[in-house]
Amino acid sequence: MKPKQQRLALVGVALAVIAGASTLAVSALGETATYFYSPSDVLAKGVAPGEAIRLGGLVEPGSVAREGATILFRVTDNAQQTAVRYTGIIPDLFREGQGVIAEGKFGADGTFVADSVLAKHDENYMPPEVAGALHKTKTAAEAGE
Amino acid sequence: MHRFANPARFLKIARVATPITALLGLALLAAGLGLGLFSSPPDYLQGESVRIMYVHVPTAWFGMGGYLFVALASAAFLVWRHPLADVAARAAAPVGATFTAVCLMTGALWGRPTWGTYWVWDARLTSMLVLLFLYLGYIALANAYDDRERGGRAAAILALVGVVNLPIIKFSVEWWNTLHQPASIRMSGSSIHPEMLQPLLLAALGFQLIFAATVLMRMRTALAGQVIAARAARLAGAHG
Amino acid sequence: MMQTPFIVASYAIAITGVLGLFAVSYVQMRRAERQAAALRKERRGQ
Repeated sequence: MKPKQQRLALVGVALAVIAGASTLAVSALGETATYFYSPSDVLAKGVAPGEAIRLGGLVEPGSVAREGATILFRVTDNAQQTAVRYTGIIPDLFREGQGVIAEGKFGADGTFVADSVLAKHDENYMPPEVAGALHKTKTAAEAGE
Repeated sequence: MHRFANPARFLKIARVATPITALLGLALLAAGLGLGLFSSPPDYLQGESVRIMYVHVPTAWFGMGGYLFVALASAAFLVWRHPLADVAARAAAPVGATFTAVCLMTGALWGRPTWGTYWVWDARLTSMLVLLFLYLGYIALANAYDDRERGGRAAAILALVGVVNLPIIKFSVEWWNTLHQPASIRMSGSSIHPEMLQPLLLAALGFQLIFAATVLMRMRTALAGQVIAARAARLAGAHG
Repeated sequence: MMQTPFIVASYAIAITGVLGLFAVSYVQMRRAERQAAALRKERRGQ
């Protein structure tokens, strides 16, 4: 082999080794790299009261209630629900049916007490008229069911 | 490969390509950002801050694309030892680093009104920050040795190792739960409304051409610098 | 929340960063190429 081909082979082998090693590293990282847990994850994991975690999912439609500066709502992943209580400033994008991430711990009564609430945005971008029209057709379809 | 690796031939092509990419890039960027700022609609949820997408998303794409270019040029330099590949990788690294930094900062400015925070340590944001550090590490290493060849080789190895970060950035939003949303533009189509997609793609093409023009100009600077350095060395030899 | 300051700041950062580097690179290229051309001419003149 010419030196050029040797170097090409060396770079190829090195890249394969690096790719293999990082695949292992990423899979070993697993859920350590996760930013939040869904209500189903929380149930499966068995989070103890007082343990600080981030809970994420959708704000369940119809679940939002306000008591002064405190807001109560349920986070759902369409399989499990978790009740959340939060006192503080809520982001503008906090809406029923939209994504949300609450950071805090479970109280003794099983309610998740959040210290902070972030709104999650999804990958859809559209003008309000389009969203309105979509919403209307959806409601019409639901009414027709 | 070697046909294009000849500096004289490269310069001949670059002298024609630089003004074309630069002027076309500026025009498309002005068109894309003008449409994005003034005539595209607001988003139904985000409101006006969706306009930050037109600078954030293209800089993210070419921050990552630039790294791929640096890595490919580095591989070519390691295998073929051709100096022009080193010149190309060194010229592109600061441009990619700038794009990545702009992407991170505009992302923070979008996150505050949208999520309610400038920054979180989720997998997407963290891996993008790692990309910036890889660029900075490459630049530092490339200039760390008195012997240019050795510095180039050490930096090229770092650039190749860092390539694993690119798929991590891309798929972080699918592999892990992240605050950052998944990709809107996929093989199967786009979940961005056409009225917003059009300025985004125009701006992206503009940013890409500006990226290319900047790299070409920096490569020409480096090659002219070699002529000047060689002359200085000859003079020093003659007087010494 | 007022969104305008965030949009203005984003565009300011993007344009200064990307076009700033573009402009600096142009100036550096012009200077280096002019100097290299002058050196070549000088050598031929000798």
